[in-house]
Amino acid sequence: MSTVSWITLRGLFGRRRFLLLLPLPVVLIVLAVLSRSLGVTPHEWAPPVLVGLGLAVVLPVVALIVGTGVLGAEIDDGTVVHILTKPLPRWQIVLPKLAVATGVTAVTVAVPLYAAGLLADSARLGLALAAASAVGALAYSALFLALSLLTRRPVLLGLVYVLIWEGLLGNVVSGTRVLSIQQYVITLADRIAPTELLLGDVSVPVAAVMSALISVGFTVLAIDRLRSFSVAGETS
Amino acid sequence: MPEPTGVIHDIGYQRYTGPRLGRRAVFGALYLHGLRTAFGLGRSAKAKIFPWLVVGIVTAVAAALTAVRAQIGEAVMTYAQFADNMSWLVIFFVAVVAPELVSRDLRSGVLPLYFSRPLPRSDYPVAKLLALATALWLLLGGPQFVMFLGAAFTSGDGMRGVWNELLDLLPSLLYAGLWAAVFASVGLLVASLTGKRAFAAGAVVAVFLMTTPIVGTLSIMPSRTVNELAFLASPSTLVGSVGTWALGDLLVPEGQSDFSIGGFGPVYAVAAVLLVAGCVALLLRRYRKVAAR
Repeated sequence: MSTVSWITLRGLFGRRRFLLLLPLPVVLIVLAVLSRSLGVTPHEWAPPVLVGLGLAVVLPVVALIVGTGVLGAEIDDGTVVHILTKPLPRWQIVLPKLAVATGVTAVTVAVPLYAAGLLADSARLGLALAAASAVGALAYSALFLALSLLTRRPVLLGLVYVLIWEGLLGNVVSGTRVLSIQQYVITLADRIAPTELLLGDVSVPVAAVMSALISVGFTVLAIDRLRSFSVAGETS
Repeated sequence: MPEPTGVIHDIGYQRYTGPRLGRRAVFGALYLHGLRTAFGLGRSAKAKIFPWLVVGIVTAVAAALTAVRAQIGEAVMTYAQFADNMSWLVIFFVAVVAPELVSRDLRSGVLPLYFSRPLPRSDYPVAKLLALATALWLLLGGPQFVMFLGAAFTSGDGMRGVWNELLDLLPSLLYAGLWAAVFASVGLLVASLTGKRAFAAGAVVAVFLMTTPIVGTLSIMPSRTVNELAFLASPSTLVGSVGTWALGDLLVPEGQSDFSIGGFGPVYAVAAVLLVAGCVALLLRRYRKVAAR
């Protein structure tokens, strides 16, 4: 593990702030256990819990907070200069940070989703959800990491994507679903464990190719942007 | 030993003898500044992007609804349904504005400067809260007014039509006020916990979004009582339920309401009041300590 990853991990977990991330997965598990123990049929509770809460809220929000935090926090308080002035190739800065963001997001999201999937249907659904959300964590993290280099307000721009593009437009205009990571995750999970509970709207090859494309594309973009990064004070 | 020769010259420094503005003026200035900050007025173009994006989308939707109504002759959404459907944008607006109002001051450590004025501890958060609530109310009420104008000019049966339309609009503006009060108090409380604007925005959205699926889950539980109380779990459905109970048919035509709350209307009203009061109390508590650092 490189020094950059250590610094990033300590930046994420060194403060009490990260405790704010915990309620999201806990609520997911509590709702799943509650529904299961009260004998509601999985057909009724699985869509709102697995998709409505897990894949549509917990995954993107955790990825947003962590993904913009790994680099954005350092840019915000100016300490990114310490890393940038070290004789490191830029990819050796971006890739460890992306790995940490993906890892933290994947663990935070995949574990409760596995538990919820297990309660809803089978261990296979749980594993499928965990695997698909790990893929989603990579894609989201790459996107939000690149955003934190493209703009000074990465969280708000990320929220525009999550809330307005995936949330609002995704429900109304079905064409936008082709460009929605959330739909890729649902489709992939449905492919790995075919059940009636998840309904993907895009085809499996599109989901797989687009997830890979987003992950790689935004990582390359981030590396490129960091190459000519200008350290400026906060305006506005 | 020579005599001291120093002289103190009077170079014209004067004390301020004009009128001194008191607590009310400070409060008013803080409120007005907060309201301007909410929409990025008096700030750089960058600060205007996100608030005006939301305002633009909401107004565009209202204009589109008005146009459709003028064409097909019947309303697609009532004013209250419009407010309900804009909930995602309201959440986003709170996430943009609330950190801008409170987190900036926390981060740059200017609170001691504020509190060195004749400004009681409680006035600062209350002024910010009122500013955010007003901004939210304008955000929801403005487009409703656009819809009202469109409907009034195309109603076709003269002053009576306009009057009927106005009677539809007024309860909805009250309802928008309820939205504003609940969302502003919860959002501002969450944002005041951290000085990092980015993190505050994420936390605000997490709090509001996380609660909506809880309602969805609770409303399919096998108990009827739990189903009817499920809307308590999320601020937006709480507001909707209180509106349905208190204003009822004035907001939504009979039988079209999304909220089947049974006989628990008063419970919802009490819960809404308690939620707002609790958030304000916590906010005041937070600001009793926060400036001491």
